[in-house]
Amino acid sequence: MAGVGGGNDFQWCFSQVKGAIDEDVAEADIISTVEFNYSGELLATGDKGGRVVIFQREQESKNRPLSRGEYNVYSTFQSHEPEFDYLKSLEIEEKINKIRWLPQQNAAHFLLSTNDKTIKLWKISERDKRAEGYNLKDEDGRLRDPFRITSLRVPVLMPMDLMVEASPRRIFANAHTYHINSISVNSDYETYLSADDLRINLWHLEITDRSFNIVDIKPANMEELTEVITAAECHPHQCNVFVYSSSKGTIRLCDMRAAALCDRHSKFFEEPEDPSSRSFFSEIISSISDVKFSHSGRYMMTRDYLSVKVWDLNMENRPVETYQVHEYLRSKLCSLYENDCIFDKFECCWNGSDSAIMTGSYNNFFRMFDRNTRRDITLEASRESSKPRAMLKPRKVCTGGKRKKDEISVDSLDFNKKILHTAWHPKENVIAVAATNNLYIFQDKMN
Amino acid sequence: MEYKVEAHRIMSISLGKIYNSRVQRGGIKLHKNLLVSLVLRSARQVYLSDYYSGACLNAQSEREGNEWDITDSEREKFPPSTTECDRVESPEEPQLTEQPEASEKEREYRENDAEKSERVDCTSTSEQESNQNSSLDSVSTETTTESPSDTTVAERDSTPVVVNGESHQPPKTHVCSSNRKRSAEESESGDAPQKRTKVASSNTKEDEEEAEEMDTGNVSNLITIFGSSFSGLLSKDGTKPEAEAEESGQICCDQMLKNLNPWSTAIVAF
Repeated sequence: MAGVGGGNDFQWCFSQVKGAIDEDVAEADIISTVEFNYSGELLATGDKGGRVVIFQREQESKNRPLSRGEYNVYSTFQSHEPEFDYLKSLEIEEKINKIRWLPQQNAAHFLLSTNDKTIKLWKISERDKRAEGYNLKDEDGRLRDPFRITSLRVPVLMPMDLMVEASPRRIFANAHTYHINSISVNSDYETYLSADDLRINLWHLEITDRSFNIVDIKPANMEELTEVITAAECHPHQCNVFVYSSSKGTIRLCDMRAAALCDRHSKFFEEPEDPSSRSFFSEIISSISDVKFSHSGRYMMTRDYLSVKVWDLNMENRPVETYQVHEYLRSKLCSLYENDCIFDKFECCWNGSDSAIMTGSYNNFFRMFDRNTRRDITLEASRESSKPRAMLKPRKVCTGGKRKKDEISVDSLDFNKKILHTAWHPKENVIAVAATNNLYIFQDKMN
Repeated sequence: MEYKVEAHRIMSISLGKIYNSRVQRGGIKLHKNLLVSLVLRSARQVYLSDYYSGACLNAQSEREGNEWDITDSEREKFPPSTTECDRVESPEEPQLTEQPEASEKEREYRENDAEKSERVDCTSTSEQESNQNSSLDSVSTETTTESPSDTTVAERDSTPVVVNGESHQPPKTHVCSSNRKRSAEESESGDAPQKRTKVASSNTKEDEEEAEEMDTGNVSNLITIFGSSFSGLLSKDGTKPEAEAEESGQICCDQMLKNLNPWSTAIVAF
């Protein structure tokens, strides 16, 4: 089934895969976040080991017009290290929870990366020139004997091999008691928000020693806790608006002009629960794992365990579109609870034109939904279908009855192979899909 | 019946997850534990509603004595907890009809039938599972303090339980399915006198009475603690011992709380 992603003559093809082929996956190599920058030229991944790897797209070659530029490693650096909170005797994981790029304002690139407790602003800059001819030191850096210096010369900039440097420019620490789950850069390009389970803070990119607390849902008595914040995002155009989702399946839109503390929402989005589908796990599967504004700012999308919902910001009582990702798992919720899969936090993303949405599933499957044609497709990120420019074959899960050829039954799904993180190029039909420790890049094949 | 088994299994799994979360790298994850506690609560509600909608059996009084002896020996074993719980549940209701007693406190909460019955349920289970010493003295003391519960209990029995099952489910489940954890934590806590019915009272009615008494004493605490989804799994460890000093009836609650001590302490530490 072709056509999902922006046109009828559209077909997804394999482009690249990054990461080790080894079956034994080191925990530290598991990718925990994927993000394109604003132009799509750079693609950043963060992993459980606290490392950030940035890929850069090669310039399109005139010799091979059909093959879009490939992504190659641009920079790798250790963003976060494991830490220890001595007061609480707790280890702070170095896992990168989120990466968010800042819009490019000069030759350097900036991104925010965060683990559970600390957010860091990284500057990634290129150096392709080196000064030679210093007066006080040799080329290898050793200090020259002052008595040997008889003349003065002006150092000259000489070309050198490109070196990409990443340096931490700001460290925003000690503002979150609970685990940070989201960061989002504001459209004013000066501020950003960070959200943990119970609080949301607003930062200025230049100021690290304080932040504003704009949402606080911690009850006076922790015993009365009923819901936590699961995701938060700034509106793409209105710098005073942001949303946050909760574990109860609700979304609150807040306007920072209304009050300093946005505990009272401006809009409250909730779909009434279907009483017929109630089970032990109704509350878990209604917990929202991701919320994303559309590029237009008119819609937002939420991901819960079994579905993706598109909401119109002007309508609070129900979503305008609901897409079932893997409804066949509804009867397996108990097993998924036992093996902890029910707690997996899937992300979702829009394409550049907001006409399609994508999210991940199990067995290295990921799903795309075309909002206009209402068509959906299931694709798989696997090494088997990883020949260059090989077309991806649509996959289908057999939900019952006779299993057709090429279908896979629900019980055969590998729940250890989960695609939690996906990203869509902001302008083109290029997608990045993180499958455990591998990063797959797929492109369209223009007909 | 199947629902009960399933609900019980889910409760066991949930408690196991909560227990394991304490040793996970990166600290306790609030979101996940909140969700697990919600599942625990739902399972408990089903478990108890199933019980009250007709799972009770008749004439269990003579059985009860035997059961309590048996459960003593099995107290420290993990697997038999399921059967323990089931056995424990059944005799409760007939006992209620036989031994209606109510203190003034009970009257306050009379409107909540479920709570009362559940408390009894929970209490007896906890008592069975308790590894601490308790004496018949405390039992008899409570028996005397609790007098006018006849009418109220009768009322309660007649109405099907709309579950505010939270109040006792955690203790019951906890007791039934977390023996390992409990024994480890009881060694920590051990201060307050733990009521137990190791000595199968010659008078089973007494057991019932003491259970009810303990429950009534616990009511205010239990309601506070189990009143909403998350609250059931947090303890007021700091305040608990003082209250217990006043009323032995709060022992049940305390015992359960101490069982959840490490996790709740961690949460409080947040």
